[in-house]
Amino acid sequence: MKLVIAATALCTGLVQAQAQAPQAPGRGMTQAAQPTGPVVHHPIPRTADGKPDLTGTWQSGGVSITGEAGAPPIHPLPPIDAHPIKREPLAYKPEYDAKRKSLTTLDDPTLECLLPGVPRIQTEPMPLEIVQTPKEVVILYESFRAWRRIPINAKLEHPDDLTPTWMGDSVGRWEGDTLVVDTVGFNDKTWIAGNGTIHSEKMHVLERYTLNDDGSMSWAATVDDPVVLTKPYSTGAVFRAPIDVRVEEYECIENNPDPGHMKKAAELEKSKK
Amino acid sequence: MKHAFPSALAVVTLLLASLLMAPPATAHHSFAAEYDSHDLITLTGVITEVDWTNPHTYVHVNVKDAAGKVTDWALEGYPPNTLKRTGFARAALKEGDTITITAYKSKDGSHTGAGREITFADGSKKFLGPEGR
Repeated sequence: MKLVIAATALCTGLVQAQAQAPQAPGRGMTQAAQPTGPVVHHPIPRTADGKPDLTGTWQSGGVSITGEAGAPPIHPLPPIDAHPIKREPLAYKPEYDAKRKSLTTLDDPTLECLLPGVPRIQTEPMPLEIVQTPKEVVILYESFRAWRRIPINAKLEHPDDLTPTWMGDSVGRWEGDTLVVDTVGFNDKTWIAGNGTIHSEKMHVLERYTLNDDGSMSWAATVDDPVVLTKPYSTGAVFRAPIDVRVEEYECIENNPDPGHMKKAAELEKSKK
Repeated sequence: MKHAFPSALAVVTLLLASLLMAPPATAHHSFAAEYDSHDLITLTGVITEVDWTNPHTYVHVNVKDAAGKVTDWALEGYPPNTLKRTGFARAALKEGDTITITAYKSKDGSHTGAGREITFADGSKKFLGPEGR
């Protein structure tokens, strides 16, 4: 029974919440610990206009909130319910699949500290802060010092003078208690979800942000691209709001010798063959 | 302290965790393309310089071999903000101090590596970077 509960919890994104194990730092291997207590339910916070209040600093995973494997987290998080994440794989048209497979991590734009785009930036292992007003929602990302301004617009209309950008143009509206964010106007230089996952300027991302009554936030994204994909791709994550964690500066281009090392390693590898 | 964790459960959860941990631990580059997760070395030397920089921190250590030859190693770590959040302050690294550090060697043949665990002179330990993968 315990096994089933633990497995279910892990399958549904609780991994981040449970990386606690009664072990000394630096010893032993990864162990997922059991929740530290019961899930506490309470009404979701709301702003003066009655909308769910997404304000706060959130993170979907990463060492800085979960702690090292085998060590107690520095910012312990209470247990939460299982929140299923809908996932649909990336399905490329054959010609784009071939191009995708020809790319390596050396081609990753983020290796050169370029913006990761949407949805990729959401699950970077650093916190993001949501600032909410009745007229707009702003997301400040520690990763890559990025930001997104999301004006609230019932018709989800974008400006008609868009030129392609790394993070695209976002507009949002409330559908019940869910913030729906519609983003278009991307360039074709970012990757959707990791290695070689290219897209075109026609990419369209629809995100849903929903507060849960256990203090977590579910985020779901559907990515459509009629040029390169044969059907929409879906991903998501459960975000937690750790105390005492705030978004801080991250100037990625400051000191980045990694591309040089990786190129040299790739050349060495090639010369061995 | 004994763990009340059945080993079968630990194994299953470990497997699931490794399959389902979606967010990568490094923000901007692939670990495997730069470092060899099967080549974990242990170095003891004197800290000569600390780069408390993004996207990664670097600890420079002068390591003397048996013949007395000194080599400068640069070991990469988590970004400053992540280290701070895991309780690793910049002040913990002092130029001139002797440390022992484990690191996954760079695949490019240079004297660089992905730092993993630092053991300080007083025996205390801190993680500088992620487990190899």
